[in-house]
Amino acid sequence: MLPHRSRTSVVLFLAPPLLLFGGGVLLPIVQSLFLSFFQWDGIFPMEFVGLENYRRLLFGDDIFWTAFGNQLLYLVICLVLQVGGGLLVASLLLTITKGREVFKVLYLMPAVISTPAIALLFQRIYGGDGLINTMLSAVGLDALARPWLSDVSTVLAAVSIPEGWRFLGLYTVILYAALLAVPREQEEAAALDGANAWTVFTKIRFPHIMPVFITTMIMATTYALRGFDIPFLLTNGGPGQASELVTTYMYKTAFTSGHYGYASAISVFIVVECLVAVGLILFSLRRKDA
Amino acid sequence: MKRSQFLALAAGAATVPVLAACGGSGSGGAAATGAAVEGEVEPRAISWLLSRPADGAVISIMEQIADEYAAENEGFSLELITTPDRPSYIQKYETLAAAGELPELFDTDATPFAAKLAETGQMIDVEDLLTQFGILEEFRPAALDYQRFDDGALYMIPLEFGLEVFWYNTALFEEAGVEVPTTLDEMVEVCETLRGADITPIAVGGQDAWPLERYVAYQPFRIAGPEYIQELKRGDAAFADEPGTASAEWLARLGEVEAFEPGFSSVGYADAQAAFTSGKAAIYNMGTWELPNLATEELPEEMRENIAFFTLPVTEGSVTAENEYVAPSGIGVAVNAETYDPLVRDFLEFALGRYPALYAESGLLGPTTVDPVIPENALPIYEEAIAAAEDLGEATLMPWDTQLDPTTNSRLQQELVLLVQGDVTAEEFLTTMDSTLEENAPRYFEDAEG
Amino acid sequence: MTVLAPTDPSREGQTMTDTAPDASAPRAPRRGRPGSRRPSRLRISQVVSRVLIVCVLILQVYPFLWLLQTSLRDRQDFAASNPFSIPTELTLENFARALEQGSLLRNILNSLIITGGACALLVVCGMAGAYAIQVLGFRGSNLVHGLFLLGIVVPVQVALVPLFIDYSRIGLLDTYVAVMIPLAGFALPMAMFLFLSFFSYIPRELYEAASIDGAGPYRIFFRITMPMSLNTVVTVVMVNAIFIWNDFIFANTFILSDELKTIPLGLQNYIGAMGNTDWTATFAAVSITVTPLLLVFLVLNRAMIYGLESGASKG
Repeated sequence: MLPHRSRTSVVLFLAPPLLLFGGGVLLPIVQSLFLSFFQWDGIFPMEFVGLENYRRLLFGDDIFWTAFGNQLLYLVICLVLQVGGGLLVASLLLTITKGREVFKVLYLMPAVISTPAIALLFQRIYGGDGLINTMLSAVGLDALARPWLSDVSTVLAAVSIPEGWRFLGLYTVILYAALLAVPREQEEAAALDGANAWTVFTKIRFPHIMPVFITTMIMATTYALRGFDIPFLLTNGGPGQASELVTTYMYKTAFTSGHYGYASAISVFIVVECLVAVGLILFSLRRKDA
Repeated sequence: MKRSQFLALAAGAATVPVLAACGGSGSGGAAATGAAVEGEVEPRAISWLLSRPADGAVISIMEQIADEYAAENEGFSLELITTPDRPSYIQKYETLAAAGELPELFDTDATPFAAKLAETGQMIDVEDLLTQFGILEEFRPAALDYQRFDDGALYMIPLEFGLEVFWYNTALFEEAGVEVPTTLDEMVEVCETLRGADITPIAVGGQDAWPLERYVAYQPFRIAGPEYIQELKRGDAAFADEPGTASAEWLARLGEVEAFEPGFSSVGYADAQAAFTSGKAAIYNMGTWELPNLATEELPEEMRENIAFFTLPVTEGSVTAENEYVAPSGIGVAVNAETYDPLVRDFLEFALGRYPALYAESGLLGPTTVDPVIPENALPIYEEAIAAAEDLGEATLMPWDTQLDPTTNSRLQQELVLLVQGDVTAEEFLTTMDSTLEENAPRYFEDAEG
Repeated sequence: MTVLAPTDPSREGQTMTDTAPDASAPRAPRRGRPGSRRPSRLRISQVVSRVLIVCVLILQVYPFLWLLQTSLRDRQDFAASNPFSIPTELTLENFARALEQGSLLRNILNSLIITGGACALLVVCGMAGAYAIQVLGFRGSNLVHGLFLLGIVVPVQVALVPLFIDYSRIGLLDTYVAVMIPLAGFALPMAMFLFLSFFSYIPRELYEAASIDGAGPYRIFFRITMPMSLNTVVTVVMVNAIFIWNDFIFANTFILSDELKTIPLGLQNYIGAMGNTDWTATFAAVSITVTPLLLVFLVLNRAMIYGLESGASKG
C-alpha cells in the first residue's frame, strides 16, 4: 500500500473498471444466475422451478456428462499445445540471434485469421483425401488413414488440435517476454558452475517466470474451458456426441432448443468448473513455487 | 411484459405472474381481424430480419421494390438485418424474440418455436392478409402448405419455391450398369452396385445436418404418409413404430453398403455439391434452388451431357404417390403483430403485387403460379425440372427438422450420423430417439397448447 | 487474495525485471551460448533448435500461404481438385467477386473502430484497476480482486440474452458502443490479470522512494507505473486485439444494420442459398482483411522493442 494514497484516488482509479465490469459483465451474469432457477423458452412467461435445472443437469443428462469428459480432454490438448508448446518455442527463440521479433509476429499469424477460414482449412486437412491421409499413404501408412472428423475415436483430438495450435503464438509471445526478463547474470553464474541447459531452465528460468507462467496457465485453462467456435464449426459436436463440449452443448441448449434456464444452469457449471481449475492451478503451482 | 418481468426478476424482486397476451390458437377470432387495420399510412423506416443470401434474388428484388415504394412514400425505408448463416441467424432471431424486439418483418420456418409466437399473438395471420389483398389464389398451394402449422394456420408468406429431387450422373450409372431406382429398397441395391464399381454413390453435405435428415423422412412418408411425423413429434407415435423402424433399418443398410462418401458427416454443402458436379459421386439429393449451378452452363462441361434427375422413389404399398415428395417454399416471412400498422400493410400489398413478376425473371420457381423465365445459358434439364412442379401431388413431405421439437431434432441429427456410420444399431438408435422424444416432446408441445 | 503477486525469492534485490532487461536483449546472443567444454554437443543442440524454429514457422505460416493460394485459385478448380496441390493457373477473379459482393472496406473500418475502442477502454480500465488494487491497496481490495477474477471464468454465450434485453432498454442496440462494452468488459478480467501479474514485478522500493520524495498517487501512476508498463500494454493489446478482432458472437448479437458490420459478419456475404458458400471469394476476403491487423502487429512489435529499450535506459 502506498503511504500517500487517498480515498479519492482509490475511488478515481477504481471507478472506470468497476463501472465497465459491473454493467457489462456482472449484471448479465447475475441475471443469468437467476435465470438458472427458472424454466424459460423466451416466449412464454418464466416458471420458477427451483433447483430442478441443476438436478436434471447433474443426475439426468447423459449428454452433459459426455460433454464434460470431452471438455477435459480438449483442455489437456490445448494446455499441452499452448502452454507447453509456447514455453518450448519461446525457449527456442532465445537460442537464436537474428530475427526473433520477426518470428514472433509470424508465429501469431494463425491467431489473426478468422475462425471460419481456419475451420475450413482443417476440414480439408482431415478430409478423406486430405493432407493427413495423403501424407500417411505417401509413407506407406495407409492403414492409419481415416476420415478424422467422422471417426468417433479421433474426432475429439481432431477438433482440439486446431484450437491449441492456433494460439500457440500468443502464449509464445507472453512467455518469451517473461523469459527475456530473467537476469542473465544468474544464468551465466549457473552455467559457469557447470549446470547444463536443462538445469538452468528448471532451477533459474522457470522459477523466475513462475508468476507469468501461472497467468498463462490460467488464461489457457479458462479459454479452453470456454472454448467453443472451432468444434462448433467443424463438427457441431458430432458424430453423435463424440466432440460435444459443455460449451457447444450450452449454446445449443440456449439457442437451438430455447431452454434458457437450463442453459444458464450449464453456464453456472462452467463458472464453477473454471473456478475449481484456477484454484487447482494456484494450489499446485504456488506450493511448488514457495 | 416479459421484458419487465425479466428485469424485475433479475433485480431480485418477487415474480409477478404475468400472462402473455393470448391471441387464441389457430386462425380464430382476434387474429382474423388483425390483418385489417384502419388509419393513415405514415411512412417510416421498417426492418426485416432475414436469413437469405446477401446477393440473392429475394433481397435484390425486395430492395428494388422498397426503393419504388419509398419514391411514392417519402420517409419510408426498408432496413435489412441480414444474417445468411443459419445458426447465427437463429441465435439472433431467438435473442430478439426473447427481448421482445422482433422487427416489423422477420424470417422464420414453420417450427414449433414460430407456432409459439403465433399462439401468443405475436404474428399476423397471413392467410387472412393474402385474402384481403385478393392474391391468395395466385400462390401455389404447395408453397402455402409448406408454411402452415399443423392446424392448417398460415402465418408466413413464402417468397421462394423448389422441388427436391435426386440428381444423378448418367455416365456413372452406365459405368456401374445400374438403372434409376423406382423403390427405396432398390436404391440400396443401386448404391451397393455403384460402390462395387468404386464410385461414391451419394454425395451428402453432412455438416449441415439437414441434407442427411431428409433421408430419415422418406420411408415414413411413403409407408404412412405425412401424418406420421405430426403424431410422432407430439409423442403420440414412437420412432419404434413401423414407419420409424423401417426408416432406421433402411438407413442402416445404406450405411452398410457405404452409400455416402466416407467422412460425410464433416463434408460441407459446397464440397458435397462439388463431389457431384466434378463426377466423383453419382447421386445428389438437392432442391431446384440450385438449378443455376446444376442445370446451366455453370456446370463443368464434362457434366452437362450426363446430368439427369429422378424424384423420390416409392415403396411397396406406398400411401403417397410418386409425384408427392419434398417441395419446400423456403424460409417464410412473418409479420410482427405488435408493430403492424397501416404502413406495414400497405407496403406488403405493394410488394407482394410486384414480387411474382420480378422473381420470375430470376429464372427460379416462385411461390406463385407465374412461370419463371428460363435463363439463356440453361441446359434442357432446367426446363424439365421446372415442369415437374406442374405435376406435383397434394401431400407434402415436411422435412423433420422443421417439425420436431428442437432438442429431439438435435439429438436425431447426431444419432443419424452414428446410425449410418454403423456406430449404433438401428435398435439402439430407436431406443435413444424414443427416450429423447418422450422426455422432450410432451413438455414442448404441452406448453404450446397450454 | 494474493494470487497475482506471488512472492518470488529470486526477484528480491533485482530491479525492474519486467520492463528493463538489458537493452541489448533482443539482439545479443545470450542464450545457449556454447560453453568451451562441450562444443560439439552444443552445436548439435543449436542445429536442432534452429530446425525446430523453422518447423514451427512452417506450421504457423503455411495456413496463411494456403489461404492466399486458394484465394488466387479458380473456383471450379478449387472445387474439383486436391485443395493442397499447387494451382495450375492463378486468377484475381475471386478478389473481384469478394469486393463486389461485400463491403469489405466498410467492414475493415468498423472492425478497426471497434477493436481500437475496445482496446483503449480495456487498457485504461485494466491499468487503473490494477493500480488501485495492487499499488494503492485498500480495505476490501481482495474482494474486488476476487470479483474481477470471477469474470475470467464466465462463458460469454449465456450472458447474451440478458445483455441484449438490458441494451435494448437503454437504447444501446446497434451502435459501436454496444459491441465495445461487452467486448472490453469480458476481456477486462484477463487484462487486469496480466497487468496485476506484471505490476508485481515493479519493486516496492521504487514506490516507497518516490513516496518519500513526496509524490502522490497520481504522480506515481503517471511517472512510474505507466511508463514502466508500456511493454505490458502492448502485450495486453496484442492478446486482446486478436480476440476482439475475431469476435463474432457479440457483433452478431448487438449489430443489426449493414453499416456497422465487422469483418466476421461481413464474411457471411459469400454464403449463398441454403449455405452454399463461395469459398474462394471468402478466402480472398479473408486475405484482404487479415492485412490491417498484421500491420498493426508489426507496428506494435516495434513499439514493444522500443519500450524495452527506453525502459532500460531509465533504469
